[in-house]
Amino acid sequence: MSELASLSISNLTVKFGGLVALDDVFLKVAPNTIVGLIGPNGAGKTTIFNSISGLVTPASGEISIHGKKMKWPASHQLAEFGISRTLQGVGLFSGLSVLENVMMGADITSGTNFFKDLFGASGKAESKLRRRALDALAWAGALDMAEKMPGDLTYPQTKRVSVARALVSQPKILLLDEPAAGLGQDDIDKFAALLKQLKQRCAIIIVEHHVDFIGSISDQVYVLNFGKVISSGTFDHVKRDPAVLAAYLGTSTQTGSEKLGGDHA
Amino acid sequence: MDTFLSAIFSGTSRGAIFALVALGLVLVWRGAGIVNFAQMGQAMFTTYIASTLIANGNSYWIGFVVALVSGAALGSILDVLVMRPLSNKKKTELLSSDSMRAAIPVIASLGILGVLQALAGIIWAAEERGFPAPAKQEGFTVAGNVMPFTAFDVFVITCVAITLILTSLFFKRTGMGLAMRATALNQEVAKLSGIRTNRTRTLSWAISGAASSLAGLLLTPSSNLSPNTLDLALFIGFTAAVVGGLDSPVGAVLGGFILGMVISFVTFYDTPEDVFLAILAVLLLSLIIRPHGILGSKDVRRV
Repeated sequence: MSELASLSISNLTVKFGGLVALDDVFLKVAPNTIVGLIGPNGAGKTTIFNSISGLVTPASGEISIHGKKMKWPASHQLAEFGISRTLQGVGLFSGLSVLENVMMGADITSGTNFFKDLFGASGKAESKLRRRALDALAWAGALDMAEKMPGDLTYPQTKRVSVARALVSQPKILLLDEPAAGLGQDDIDKFAALLKQLKQRCAIIIVEHHVDFIGSISDQVYVLNFGKVISSGTFDHVKRDPAVLAAYLGTSTQTGSEKLGGDHA
Repeated sequence: MDTFLSAIFSGTSRGAIFALVALGLVLVWRGAGIVNFAQMGQAMFTTYIASTLIANGNSYWIGFVVALVSGAALGSILDVLVMRPLSNKKKTELLSSDSMRAAIPVIASLGILGVLQALAGIIWAAEERGFPAPAKQEGFTVAGNVMPFTAFDVFVITCVAITLILTSLFFKRTGMGLAMRATALNQEVAKLSGIRTNRTRTLSWAISGAASSLAGLLLTPSSNLSPNTLDLALFIGFTAAVVGGLDSPVGAVLGGFILGMVISFVTFYDTPEDVFLAILAVLLLSLIIRPHGILGSKDVRRV
């Protein structure tokens, strides 16, 4: 890969007290690709996201964003670096309208100058933000929900809204935390189509339990177990990897491969 | 009929000020999760600053503006120097229960009230002094009759109306206002959305400080200024906030006007001595009938 990676992580180690949550993890995401992270519960998938988005401080490790080596970002710096994430379980504000929720994705208070944020937060800036939020909603196919409250939406609709919220800052790297969880097959198919379109605009990293879904959309798949990357490559490659079969099933039989390729939600 | 009109007018003007006090309390409650008992101590302090400026020959308006600005500054300083360290989870983790942790800042606010009152006593002496009104406090005369409505009442209502409109525009129509509403709803998710919640907290304290300073400036011309003058206003404002719903700014304003009317009608039809009792009755009734307040959300009581 001579191409400059959107995001590249190496030697990432995270400890929670005595527990090693991530051990020497690496990850490379090329622009306009979808990278899937799979692995059993507690394998450390979400911890990778938390490290990238400043919620967890790594014990060691390097991160490069758009080919530039840098410090691990703090939460409020993500928009600046072109990173956006959705939250497990959606995380919409119940007391704000859908449109306002999406506007919140734009990192309104990220400016380095607080007073500029405060007084630059004029009606003009706000209406510009409103338009951007409407664009993002239209893009995620959720424009007609703009004035509704999150409580009035169906679960698949809230997923679309949370993607719109992640898109409003026009990220170059999008982190999706279990976007397919709780969706029916029909909605998963629609969502996969949406993501394939989305990858023309940014690189996408997805943490997901739904192996079929990951297999159908990912260009690269990383398999984690007990905080380590045990396999990486195309989905066809990793699903035949004996280490992966062992991790998922405790054995490395051929039937295991079929099982992994099958419904494994 | 005259008594009735007088009660209505006086209730509106007083109610407007209590609405401001209640709004100040609600802003800090929503923004920082703290009932700020020091609020009217802050207002008392900034009113003293205005009083000193005016006594030294400056115009009323200089005192007015300085009081509002120093109200915002004092609020911010208290948050950064006292409340922020006290809310630091790491520093308070020895205290096991969450409810204890939530109580610490509230108790600290009582401490701040004591310090501010003592300081005011030391700096300005504890005796009462008058505080000027920028407009006449005698009723308008219409066709030879003195009406129960004064130019100062007009000034009070105008000031409060402007404050309410500006605050509501700020929360509804600016990105920072949206960020503050989001933080009030869910601090964790707000943080994950990249909101610097420390800043929005401090901003809540600043806006609340300025609003209460305005309330102090509007209340003291009709009483007098002393370190304890505004204690009753805090009690009334707190009751107003509870009646309206502690987490609802609109409810706070509504509660303020309700309290204004109750106090005014008790004063005019009964006796001013019963005012305190009436407020207590309203507080008690409100807590029994509608504990989350008229417009408050049901799951608000944390402390």
